[in-house]
Amino acid sequence: MTDKAGRRVLIVDDAALVRTYYRTALEQGGFLVEEALNGLEALEKLLLYPFDLAIVDINMPHMDGITFLRTLRSKDIPVSGIPVLITSTEAGPQDMAAARSAGANYYLVKPVKQETLAEYAAIFCGAPR
Amino acid sequence: MPLVRKPSSPTGAPVPDGRQLSEIFATGSDDDRWTAARGAADSPDGLSLLADALSRERIPRVREAIFTALTKIATPDSAAVVLPYLRSDDAAERTGALDALRAMPAAAAKFLPSLLNDTDPDVRLLACEIARVLPAGDGSCALGELIERETNSNVCSAAVEVLAETGDLASLPILARCAARFPDDPFLTFAIRAASDRIGSSD
Amino acid sequence: MTDPPEITEEEFRRLADFLYRRTGMVFTETKRYYVERRISERMVATSSESFSVYFAYLRSEVRNEVAQLINAFTVNETYFYREDYQLDCLSTDLLRERVATKRPRDPIRIWSVPCSTGEEPYSIAIWLLENWKDVDTYDIEIVGSDIDTRVLEAAAEGIFGKRALMRLSPELVARYFHSLDDERWQILDDLRQSVRFSRVNLIENRETRPQGRFDVIFCRNVLIYFDDESRRVAAENLYDNLMPGGFICLGHTESMSRISPLFEVCRYSGAIVYRRPQGLRA
Repeated sequence: MTDKAGRRVLIVDDAALVRTYYRTALEQGGFLVEEALNGLEALEKLLLYPFDLAIVDINMPHMDGITFLRTLRSKDIPVSGIPVLITSTEAGPQDMAAARSAGANYYLVKPVKQETLAEYAAIFCGAPR
Repeated sequence: MPLVRKPSSPTGAPVPDGRQLSEIFATGSDDDRWTAARGAADSPDGLSLLADALSRERIPRVREAIFTALTKIATPDSAAVVLPYLRSDDAAERTGALDALRAMPAAAAKFLPSLLNDTDPDVRLLACEIARVLPAGDGSCALGELIERETNSNVCSAAVEVLAETGDLASLPILARCAARFPDDPFLTFAIRAASDRIGSSD
Repeated sequence: MTDPPEITEEEFRRLADFLYRRTGMVFTETKRYYVERRISERMVATSSESFSVYFAYLRSEVRNEVAQLINAFTVNETYFYREDYQLDCLSTDLLRERVATKRPRDPIRIWSVPCSTGEEPYSIAIWLLENWKDVDTYDIEIVGSDIDTRVLEAAAEGIFGKRALMRLSPELVARYFHSLDDERWQILDDLRQSVRFSRVNLIENRETRPQGRFDVIFCRNVLIYFDDESRRVAAENLYDNLMPGGFICLGHTESMSRISPLFEVCRYSGAIVYRRPQGLRA
């Protein structure tokens, strides 16, 4: 069991209710949670604050999750290696392949159970960096 | 004082050159195509040039300028050029198309009923976001009808997300019926409860 | 004065989610009382009899109510050295990056848009004279632009009251202003001559283009008020007005994440700024 106290998770999703749903699950699990509406805001938050994990949707305004991931992984900054968990309704093989080649650590298909999300968050926050 | 005041600026930003727009889109540099896209909305045959350029353009920032030009034209015809890209396998292309449609709500409105009836659930799901930017009654009504017949729970979730912002009392029984149809989707159950609380609390 | 309307927790969440999506501004539960007061003022001003009526009006963007509400939340006062963390970022980080490829006497162009009555472009000038060691090495050109010709006339005149100068030390006021009477100070002629003013509408390409390309653009607290289409066009105009590698600074409550993906996000010290990439493919 990893120590989750103080582990920081960034939720990146344009749907307000999805963010609230994830936040509820993660806060109950002892995580500290921040939110971003799209890939651009996620990059801003990652540059400003430390995080242990980002949970990222694919379809979002102005910068989608795949472009975000590709941009993040190409940056020469310490945070560029942060674990990223993609959650999306896009279950097609091409989206999973795109997420993997962009550098996603894992891919969960929506709808995601709150317990499942918290379990995966714990795994990735405990993973060696 | 070392600060200087120059009479006027010598370093001009790019100015469209004399070549035909079609020629620039076909053979110009990235910067040339960007500038051409930016000016094309004002050209009489701009729409067809932009449609053609969009089908071939691979550079994201130039595509963005083409989408913006189509947004400036803001007619059902310019919205129609954007629509097919909602089906793209490339997430960035879908995003660009949806952002463009959101920025021309009046032009996109005409296509909403057919998009919400599309055979592809991913298209129906994205179309919910267009309903968000329409006048409140129109958007909520279209989403209500969608939810009543929708079989894909993720599409319902996308519609509920928008109704949480735009819905009114008429949305409440529709949300209740939807919750009863998908009791096993944990997120949809959560979302319907949250949306109903927000709508019920305001009206 | 009537009491603020009781806004329920659910109504507050609905409003907060809308404003966050639209502007990027975050309103947590701790700000609820403050938000209720502003909403109350706006409901009276728009004759809305309930929160739901007001929220529908806000969403419909009739008469740009979103802008009116943002105004109620923000201090619109303009004064010297406002948001000086960005001026610090300019002299410490942004100009160092910009001069890396320049030679002595090369021009450095800085644009303040919208500049209102001139506090921002003059602040930039004073800040650089005071805080940037290389200020004598390059030809610095500062341009202030606004859509409103009346504020531009006032800016060119350069006369300010006590409140506008409240953040400047008496030494700075003595160094860069002369007093007209007990209440008014005018920027010294030398400094006044070094800032050029021009009328520009940010969404008109034919008005932005002649301003030329800049190393740094300060574009604070204006894009947040635009609708989606105008934001797209303004962002592309600003892109054209930046040299490749040039920077744009927005207001501290604004984020390019609600506006455009054209720029790279950069962090310097505590400030987020946006950069035009070196090429379109970047």
